[in-house]
Amino acid sequence: MLQDLSKIYGSGVEVRALDGINLNINAGEFVAIVGPSGSGKSTLLNMIGLLDTPSSGRIFLKGIDVSRASPDERARLRNRELGFVFQYHHLIPEFSALENVMMPMLIAGKSKAEAKEKSRELLVSVGLGERLDNRPNQLSGGQNQRVAVARALVNGPSIVIGDELTGNLDTKSSQLIYDLLRDLNKKINQTFILVTHDMTLAEKTDRILRIVDGKIVCELRRKGDTFSTSEVCDLGEDDGKIKRE
Amino acid sequence: MFELNIAARHVVSNRRGTAFTLISVAIAVGIIIMSLGLTEGVRMQIVDNTVEKNPHLIISPKKGENYINMYRTLSELVRMYPGTIAVSPRLVGQGAARFRDKVEGVEFTGVIPSQENPLMAVQESMISGNFSDLKFSSNSAVIGVTLAKNLDIRPGGEFYLSLKNQSIKLKVIGLIQKGTVKDSTLIYVPLETAQNLVGQGDVVSEIGVKLSDFTTAPAMALDLNGKNRYETTSWQDFNKEIARFVGNQNVTNMLFYIFILLISAFVIANTAIMVVSRRRKEIGILMAMGATRRSILKIFLLENMLIGFPAGILGCLLGFGIARLITLLPLDVTSTGGGNAGMIIVAKPEYFVYAIIFALALNFISGLYPAYTAARLDPVKAIGSE
Repeated sequence: MLQDLSKIYGSGVEVRALDGINLNINAGEFVAIVGPSGSGKSTLLNMIGLLDTPSSGRIFLKGIDVSRASPDERARLRNRELGFVFQYHHLIPEFSALENVMMPMLIAGKSKAEAKEKSRELLVSVGLGERLDNRPNQLSGGQNQRVAVARALVNGPSIVIGDELTGNLDTKSSQLIYDLLRDLNKKINQTFILVTHDMTLAEKTDRILRIVDGKIVCELRRKGDTFSTSEVCDLGEDDGKIKRE
Repeated sequence: MFELNIAARHVVSNRRGTAFTLISVAIAVGIIIMSLGLTEGVRMQIVDNTVEKNPHLIISPKKGENYINMYRTLSELVRMYPGTIAVSPRLVGQGAARFRDKVEGVEFTGVIPSQENPLMAVQESMISGNFSDLKFSSNSAVIGVTLAKNLDIRPGGEFYLSLKNQSIKLKVIGLIQKGTVKDSTLIYVPLETAQNLVGQGDVVSEIGVKLSDFTTAPAMALDLNGKNRYETTSWQDFNKEIARFVGNQNVTNMLFYIFILLISAFVIANTAIMVVSRRRKEIGILMAMGATRRSILKIFLLENMLIGFPAGILGCLLGFGIARLITLLPLDVTSTGGGNAGMIIVAKPEYFVYAIIFALALNFISGLYPAYTAARLDPVKAIGSE
């Protein structure tokens, strides 16, 4: 839960990247955050992901206020409770797919054997059971991104955060990734919060939040095959494709 | 420990960077090992050529006197000191040697050959004849090779040794070459012969002492001076400049090593900073995965330290190898006019330990700032950086 969250950059000329955000995300939700460039989407994601600290307001994770947690506490929470998938896979090039997925568990202090077993299972579940020992330069963009998804899931996080995770992929690969996420959301009730420009992805989610100039201006919630909203919600980018009630 | 895993993988995969750091550290270590080995070699040569070719202690007459009367008793007293390996009473005087029409100023030393030889290793310097043969005839003499040349006299020839109004005829039974200027003035005669020439009775002018460890000479001199009124001087007292040189070597060497350490550390740190810069995104992702700043610091420090050990070994080999080549050059280090040609290198086992420690210390120090920089990165900026 985010409570009256704000983030201001700059000391001379202030830039209000987030302006009094109030947001509650429940376990198992599949949320998309959309908005024009510079609206504060990535800043919001960095706040939720505990990669950055707010200028004011509070962040609650599983009911605990983590807004003023120390850097080491935030690191521990990121490791245990959060998973990240970025636009670029950011896999460590010297390590294989299996070793990359193992990394968060090793950081958590788990044994190599346990990490290996869990990582293998995950890579099989994302369709890369035959590619365990391949390094990133031996995999396609889509395959690398699937490894990144597996890595984000390996510690069983409460939330997986994605920032334009299909930005570098072709349509087919993007489709595969999103279907994978949707599948995980349904199967294991994994919570996803995804920032995206891609309305095809947004359409697959259950809740779409539009952010403009650091404020959440409107919200769409899925009802069956359509979305409902309590106010006029011009998503701008969807060209009216997303069916509303 | 995942940090070690990542650091090791970085070292292995970044071959160029690793090789550069390895060679830089090895060169620094090599310079220091070479310097240590050669410096110790020079020190040993100086010690060998000066200390070991001179008595460690000289006992001189009491103040106001020219001779030592009770030299037998005194010699026995000195022999009882632990570490004493040779004691030789001597009667030294200045005179003139005359052979046919040639006359040369000389310094004669009356000795007991069996006691003088352990003190000065005289036989090793003999180029003809036997030093111990002095005991067989009171009219025998061993003279310096240059003196023989100046007098134009050969072994078997007879010459006159004069002191004031006294003159004795001596037969050359051997020639000696010490490799110093003394070769042109030195004459050894039996002690009794010198005593007859000097005419002061059963006396000597000094007692030379050799010890198993020359560094104990000052302490022994102090002790002897406290026990009797004879004046005992150590090697360190009458060779102050050389003793100071040997001592100062350590200070100047240490400053040199610190200088090498600093220069090398800067070069290696620069490389490490470039590595950190190239790895910004990776650092950001590791932080996103939950790696703490301390873990990031560890990774980059470990990367440097892993290179330290093999670099130390390589540096040792390099240092000793180059030093060995230098020792093959014909350089006379000691400048004593006839010291051993060429330098020697000393390879003590502890030098290898110093080399490894130095390499590890160098890598640690040079890795500190880059590792700190990596640990202080903002993960958001790092992940988003180009």
